[in-house]
Amino acid sequence: MESQFYVVTWWDVLVALVFIALTYGIMRYWKIGLEKTLLVGTVRTFLQLTLMGYLLSYIFNQESWYFMVGLLTLMILVASFEGYRRQKLPIPHYFLILVGSLGITVLIVLGTILKFILAVEPWYYPFVMIPIAGMIIGNGLNSMTLTANRFIGELKHREGEVETLLSLGAPVRAAVHGSLVSAIRAALIPNINNLMTVGLVQLPGMMSGQILAGIDPLIAVRYQIIIMYMWITTAVLTDVISLTFIYRQFFTSRDQLRLKILRQAEG
Amino acid sequence: MEQTSVFELRQVNRNEAGREILTNASLTIGAGEFVALLGPSGAGKTTILRLFNALDSPDSGEIRFRGERLDQVPVRDLRQKVGMVFQTPAILEGSVRENLLVFQRWQKDFTISDEEIHQILIQVGLENTRPDQAARSLSGGEKQRLALARTLMNEPEVLLLDEPTSNLDPVMAHQILRQIKTLQEEMGFTVIMVSHNHELAARYADRFVILLQGQIAADGPLSVLKTAHSPAVQTFLNGGGE
Ligand SMILES: Nc1ncnc2c1ncn2[C@@H]1O[C@H](COP(=O)(O)OP(=O)(O)O)[C@@H](O)[C@H]1O
Ligand SMILES: [Mg+2]
Repeated sequence: MESQFYVVTWWDVLVALVFIALTYGIMRYWKIGLEKTLLVGTVRTFLQLTLMGYLLSYIFNQESWYFMVGLLTLMILVASFEGYRRQKLPIPHYFLILVGSLGITVLIVLGTILKFILAVEPWYYPFVMIPIAGMIIGNGLNSMTLTANRFIGELKHREGEVETLLSLGAPVRAAVHGSLVSAIRAALIPNINNLMTVGLVQLPGMMSGQILAGIDPLIAVRYQIIIMYMWITTAVLTDVISLTFIYRQFFTSRDQLRLKILRQAEG
Repeated sequence: MEQTSVFELRQVNRNEAGREILTNASLTIGAGEFVALLGPSGAGKTTILRLFNALDSPDSGEIRFRGERLDQVPVRDLRQKVGMVFQTPAILEGSVRENLLVFQRWQKDFTISDEEIHQILIQVGLENTRPDQAARSLSGGEKQRLALARTLMNEPEVLLLDEPTSNLDPVMAHQILRQIKTLQEEMGFTVIMVSHNHELAARYADRFVILLQGQIAADGPLSVLKTAHSPAVQTFLNGGGE
């Protein structure tokens, strides 16, 4: 069959409201009591995504590289702030660490994709750069916050071990090695499991989207494979870079464990 | 004291959570001494050992190690020279051998034979322990000895012991203290041992420092302390201080 691209009109969207109507009816009949929330959510979905659409149209119409670099920077700052705010971790300079780790990772991973893998012309072509940067930043941030949290947990759990090693004259890096490895392993295992099971149970969202948009499934699959490989690198880079800066925050310049900061962390 | 001083505390204070846990502590410890640091629980004994090992720093006052300001001595060198055995030592996952080399294996080109390991284990009375045995499966007393051996690996000049016998029965306690005393005679290090059992400590230490509520309340040979000191010290030595 020839692949075909079905244009969705605003009228189609209006018709899709039957789904909301059906949900609303069921809620009323069963007296579930979430009807109002459902209506608010319906309107918000419409408004937020429409707004995002206009924003993206505007962005994709820009033609200067510095606009794209500025936008990337903004994305990194906003994501880092969100991660920083969401999890009040007692790590000095946590926001800066998030920004720096994301920045370096985006530079390496996005750079590799744009320059060598897809060889995009021009390199700041927004239809490729922006969605991929979004995936790197989102995945990197998730991985980092998970790892940071886990690392603090490990450090608290291994307080005696860490101080024993320090007391013997071990460098800080050696004293926290066990905690670092545990934290990074914990963050990477879900990513590696993803490599094992992708495509067996359900299609990744991005691939389904591309296929719906009329792209040859084999092309969509190749994209997805690249993305999967990219994800694991993103996770490992952001984790390792951020932890390199994070662990040192828990020690003084005299290589003493800063128990006060550590105990501020809950759990 | 005829020897040169190893450690010197001058008017040292330390606060924790807004409370003074060490107040105006002044103390000089000579090379080769076996000092027992006595006092009830919470008196600040561990606090002093942690200062000597530079795991904490004083809030005011000065500490000197062999005449040099402690905060001027490179911290990792200091910690290797001033070995500490914690009250509840952290035994790491892995073998006895790995626990002994836990930090040395970070140094390149460090090799040691099983025979050398065996010799070290004999020193602390672990002659029946195999180097490849899982360290966490050892008994409480064996773990304490392993921790001691691990600290001795650095060939320290000072050995800080925090209640080394608190997990041991009296027979074992004497056995390990006798071993420490013998090692001290062989290797010539200084021992600073925290204990709340002065009768046990009396058999091995030649000097006694008594801490009460963060203050050094008495310092000297036990016979002197037993006769010529404040009521609070007498109360502690007569067993009422616990
Ligand atoms: N990290 C800390 N935070 C709060 N209080 C502490 C801390 N470390 C020690 N303390 C307090 O300081 C006092 C002395 O502690 P420590 O030196 O461990 O006593 P001990 O003589 O039993 O070894 C105790 O009251 C203890 O609760
Ligand atoms: Mg103590």
